[in-house]
Amino acid sequence: MISAGVDGGSRAIKVVLLDCRTRKVLASGVCDQGVDHDGLARKLLEQLLKKADLARSRIVRLVATGYTRNAIGFADTTVTEITCHAAGVRHRMPKAATIIEIGGQDSKLLRLNPDGSVRDFAMNDRCAAGTGRFLEVVAARLNAGLEGLGDLARAASSPAPISSMCVVFAETEIIGLLASGARPEDIVAGVQASIASRVAAMVGRGAGAPVVFTGGVAMIPGMAEALAAALKTPVQIAPDPQMTGALGAAILACRQACGR
Amino acid sequence: MSGRAKRLTLQELDRLCRRRQASGAAMPAYAGPLERHVQDGDRRLLRLEYDDSPAALRLWNFLLTEEDRLHEARAAGRKIVGTMKDLGTVPVMAYSLPNVVAFYPDGAWWTPCVMELSEGLFGIAQSLGLGDAFCPVRAMAGAFVNRAHFPIPDLLTCSVGATCDDFSAIAQRLESLGYPILWWEMPSRRRPEPGEPAVALPGGFRAPESQVALVRSELERVRAALAELAGSPLGDEELTAGIREANRIRGLLGELRHLAYAADPCPMPALEMLIAEMLAIHFCSDRAESAAVLAELLDEVRSRTTAGRGVMPAGAARLFWVNPVADLRVMNLLEDCGARLGGTEYLFCHALDAIPGDLPPMEALARMALADPMVGPSVDRAARIVRDARAFGAEAVVVSRIPGASHCALEGTIMGRVVRDELNLPVVELEVPPVADPLWPTLRTRLEALVETVLERRKR
Repeated sequence: MISAGVDGGSRAIKVVLLDCRTRKVLASGVCDQGVDHDGLARKLLEQLLKKADLARSRIVRLVATGYTRNAIGFADTTVTEITCHAAGVRHRMPKAATIIEIGGQDSKLLRLNPDGSVRDFAMNDRCAAGTGRFLEVVAARLNAGLEGLGDLARAASSPAPISSMCVVFAETEIIGLLASGARPEDIVAGVQASIASRVAAMVGRGAGAPVVFTGGVAMIPGMAEALAAALKTPVQIAPDPQMTGALGAAILACRQACGR
Repeated sequence: MSGRAKRLTLQELDRLCRRRQASGAAMPAYAGPLERHVQDGDRRLLRLEYDDSPAALRLWNFLLTEEDRLHEARAAGRKIVGTMKDLGTVPVMAYSLPNVVAFYPDGAWWTPCVMELSEGLFGIAQSLGLGDAFCPVRAMAGAFVNRAHFPIPDLLTCSVGATCDDFSAIAQRLESLGYPILWWEMPSRRRPEPGEPAVALPGGFRAPESQVALVRSELERVRAALAELAGSPLGDEELTAGIREANRIRGLLGELRHLAYAADPCPMPALEMLIAEMLAIHFCSDRAESAAVLAELLDEVRSRTTAGRGVMPAGAARLFWVNPVADLRVMNLLEDCGARLGGTEYLFCHALDAIPGDLPPMEALARMALADPMVGPSVDRAARIVRDARAFGAEAVVVSRIPGASHCALEGTIMGRVVRDELNLPVVELEVPPVADPLWPTLRTRLEALVETVLERRKR
């Protein structure tokens, strides 16, 4: 038996196929989000099935999650990304007590119970300054791809202070910093610190350890270090962080199908 | 009777109304299809879903005809008092006089919501310097200027001090436009110092006697102004009778809340309960009819509870809701996400408590006013939330913030901490603007995630 998880995020769609018996990932994939949420997710699923040489009929249950979860018409049910990220992270890191997920459009804090269930959560989806969107803006402004931001941040010697509370104004601030001769490396490190400080404000006091960082932004080098500095506690990156929502959805689909 | 109570669209509710009219069912004079309010511009009503009972139909009709009642009162020569920033004290005094009608101009804050901003009250407020940084109550200033809603009151009262900075600024702007206001001071409620003479307040709090004496003296000024306006004395006897009537309404509402929030399945939707609770503050400009509306609603709830008939399946996640929402659709959304109300604290819970009947009336009213959750520390509010959430068996708490409302800036953090420490319940904060459409996906995600969390906790 196979279960499937589809995470329809704001910037990308992620799909995971899971063996319900062994709980091993059989296939996983990512594609860019677009206008036709359902069609793109369906196409990605079919590609993964073909690649893994699996028949669609072997999928006993499919759970959709993420921002566009309700647009995934072929899902058996939907579960929010809060619950899915908790399930996905705990599957990979069973001791996780706090999860920070930063995606393209929002950021989340999840506090977990010892058994892995969600104790409490908070979300920021009103302000881009605490999300991956901020990094996209700075990458575009510096003509560096998202993948290049980590290298830049690593070469920083003195992170530039970004004081604006809004991405729109921060972009103006970055232009000013560049004009005043600030190094792009220091600007990137400053933006990472700025995002981390906003997330830390959401966490408030007392993030239970271990703190696990997941979501697409966790793949960008330097962000985990920035978060650890802001939280004043070690931060571990979840394995394959972009996929934890889809993985959690597949795990929950498996539990729903198998009752365990 | 069995099965679920249904939620109806406005068109379906109006069909119910017409059927009742055709069958000759007894209905109040103000009752009729709600579509007439849509024609007046309240387009948001089309987006809501309503309880399917005649009692709810009456409640909605009563709410939506308040302005008509005020204009009728003016035409009949009755005196109209606008009781601003008053959550349930001055209206009790005003309705103790036979020819006085009180209303709550602050209630205009809902107008931009039901009219989807089309009426431009916020635009007028903006032109007066009251922009987005202010609470949606700023719509009231627009209503005073365009005079398209309530008649201009014969007397305006407004509490000031510990109540709400936003509102004080809005009311001061209003006064500068030529609407004189009788201000009465409300001190910030504090705990008595050791050895300081203190008294018990409704709601389980205590305050120094000196603070109660100050509020009492302030309310005495209001009493004198009301008596002068009415041209008849407002003695203790009249006030005692007025308090008795107010307590009758509070008693009805208390029983209604107890059944609606404790019974399983939930017998009355969150939306209608929100409207019903609001009646305790200002009686919707007709105290006697308020009591009748609530009594019919209570009968319906009793009947459903006895029959095990609910608006949600039994076992729905029980959410305790803090603060009223600016967009009423969110109360529908709560149920769409699989939850039900398991208690509320809409910032006027003191108006739901019985006014002490064993005290001189002005002393009782002063203590009641000082029990207002807005004038005390947030930890006091949190203590009441904890007490009520425990009593109603709530499984999670939602703190709904109102953009621009200054009393909301930090209270969510404090209340969340106390609730987590005392009850170990999940707490989620939402921000609900007057028209929340752009936020719909995120509001839905938060509420659905909260329901998932609650259901998962039950398995543990």
